[in-house]
Amino acid sequence: MSSQQEARLFGLGYRRYDGPRRRPAWAILTLAVFTLRRVLGLGRGGRHKVLPALTLVIAYAPALVSVGFAALLEDLPVDDLITYGEYMFFIGSALALFAALVAPEALCPDRRSGMLGLYLAGPLDRDRYLAAKGAAVLAAMLAITLGPLLFMLAAFVVAGYGPSAGETPGLLLRILAVGGTAALGYAAVSLAVASFTTRRAAAAVGVVLVLFVPVIAARSAVESAGAPAELDLLSFPFLVSELSYRIFDEFHSEGQPIEELSSWVVAAGLAAWTAAGALACWLRYRRIEAHR
Amino acid sequence: MSAAQPHSAAPAVVSAHGVVKRYGRTVALAGLDAEVGGGITGLLGSNGAGKTTFLSLVLGLRSRDDGELVVLGRDPAATGIDVRARIGYAPEHHDLPAELTAADFVRHLTELHLLPPRAAVQRANDALWLVGLGEERFRHVGSMSTGQRQRVKLAAAIAHDPELVLLDEPTDGLDPVQRAEMLDLIRRIGSEFGMHIVVSSHHLEEVERICDAVVIVEGGVVVQAGTLADLRRGPEGLVVEVDERAEELAALLARRGLDVTVEGGVLLLAAGDGGHDAVRDAVAELGVGLRRLAPRGRTLEDVYLGTEA
Repeated sequence: MSSQQEARLFGLGYRRYDGPRRRPAWAILTLAVFTLRRVLGLGRGGRHKVLPALTLVIAYAPALVSVGFAALLEDLPVDDLITYGEYMFFIGSALALFAALVAPEALCPDRRSGMLGLYLAGPLDRDRYLAAKGAAVLAAMLAITLGPLLFMLAAFVVAGYGPSAGETPGLLLRILAVGGTAALGYAAVSLAVASFTTRRAAAAVGVVLVLFVPVIAARSAVESAGAPAELDLLSFPFLVSELSYRIFDEFHSEGQPIEELSSWVVAAGLAAWTAAGALACWLRYRRIEAHR
Repeated sequence: MSAAQPHSAAPAVVSAHGVVKRYGRTVALAGLDAEVGGGITGLLGSNGAGKTTFLSLVLGLRSRDDGELVVLGRDPAATGIDVRARIGYAPEHHDLPAELTAADFVRHLTELHLLPPRAAVQRANDALWLVGLGEERFRHVGSMSTGQRQRVKLAAAIAHDPELVLLDEPTDGLDPVQRAEMLDLIRRIGSEFGMHIVVSSHHLEEVERICDAVVIVEGGVVVQAGTLADLRRGPEGLVVEVDERAEELAALLARRGLDVTVEGGVLLLAAGDGGHDAVRDAVAELGVGLRRLAPRGRTLEDVYLGTEA
């Protein structure tokens, strides 16, 4: 008898729902997680995993090699290890590749497939939609701007090459600052470019062009033609690596024009790139026709 | 034109008064008045009449320039997110994410409409079984036919159990069999599960088949609205069509005391009981062929075209 009393029916088919519902803010988290999984190729076919995996390998390779040497060669001089400050310079290509990959994958398919209209017909508005997409792209970028530095810190501490206990919190803060600003900047710039096209390939090319054409032009003008050092503020990847050196007190540009610029000016230049990217994306999405 | 009245005692699901929407110099809605009650309501109108603009205002995706609009008791322009969480929407287009399975697509949109993940999975499966895609739910949407995609959109619109479902051209691209099945499905969802449904369409016969009420929009205003029964109700009497000699037949009927008018070869009789017998006798007496003898009334097409039989 007791088994009959405890019997329950499952699979009753479609019926009205009277269970709990979440607050509207959950829609942002739902979309952000969905987007993050999508850009990293999780839950998708193998070909969608290749580029994200390759980029992650490139981004973590310097840290893995450095930590590996530190672990294998006991008497390795500390100066031979890769420094935190120069890490952003080393992985510049991976950062650009990831930025060209992630944001277009996050934004373009929604407009191409009509999903944007479906999202905006739900408990999201344009600002919340962009917040979710921005959070997903930022999280993905943090995986390669912050992840390798944190991995290096942990590994060096374990291997005995790390900072003392008293220095660790300060170093951790610097790592967070560098990783956070770099991720924010790359995310904003790539989102801005991706908001202007529905084609991922076009957006990826656009991101690479926006990142590197000004670098080539400005660096050439400053170094060869004697243009003012402020022109370097147009070189986004250069600003990221330069700020990284300065945050970790690793000044490397003695005698170069960039030395004339204070760290605050470099930081302001990076902030301007980030703000301009975010603003361009936001303005673009205010105008996009989403309802069909 | 007067607005439609809610066809139940319950408060209107959508209530619009003097709604104006402009795109630059183009006036899309020019003071639209409409009351959409419970049940299934057809939103009829030609292309460019303002149907899609009206739906976008109901969803709170655009802001109106003037007038009042209340959806499920709230102003969608002010509380769009809260209103949209209670609405299910199936767009006209069939462009869905090709890489997603139907189950993942519906589950994602259900979760986005604030159901917990476990409930979203269950509801997505149940909704897909309901629309007849239970066995196909793990197929990629990109490999599905137009008919299957229409069903996927319907499942996504109802999986989170909305109070109001907006279906934009739900039979677009379907063959006659699929169309009939889709209409039956919509009718079932409206009647069996008690959801309020607004179907935007330009197929009169579809609206006539499944809807309880109709709102006809032309030129940005509502030109006709009400329950189907009210709209189709015409004056008392009969309509008669014969092969020839319609004027003679009319004269004969008039001599026998009937109130007859002739419009375009069609006789309109303001006859009560006994009208059928009088027509039968007069037609037999004149020896003309009788094409049509029917109660006076209107089809939805008559209503739409502003004519009456």
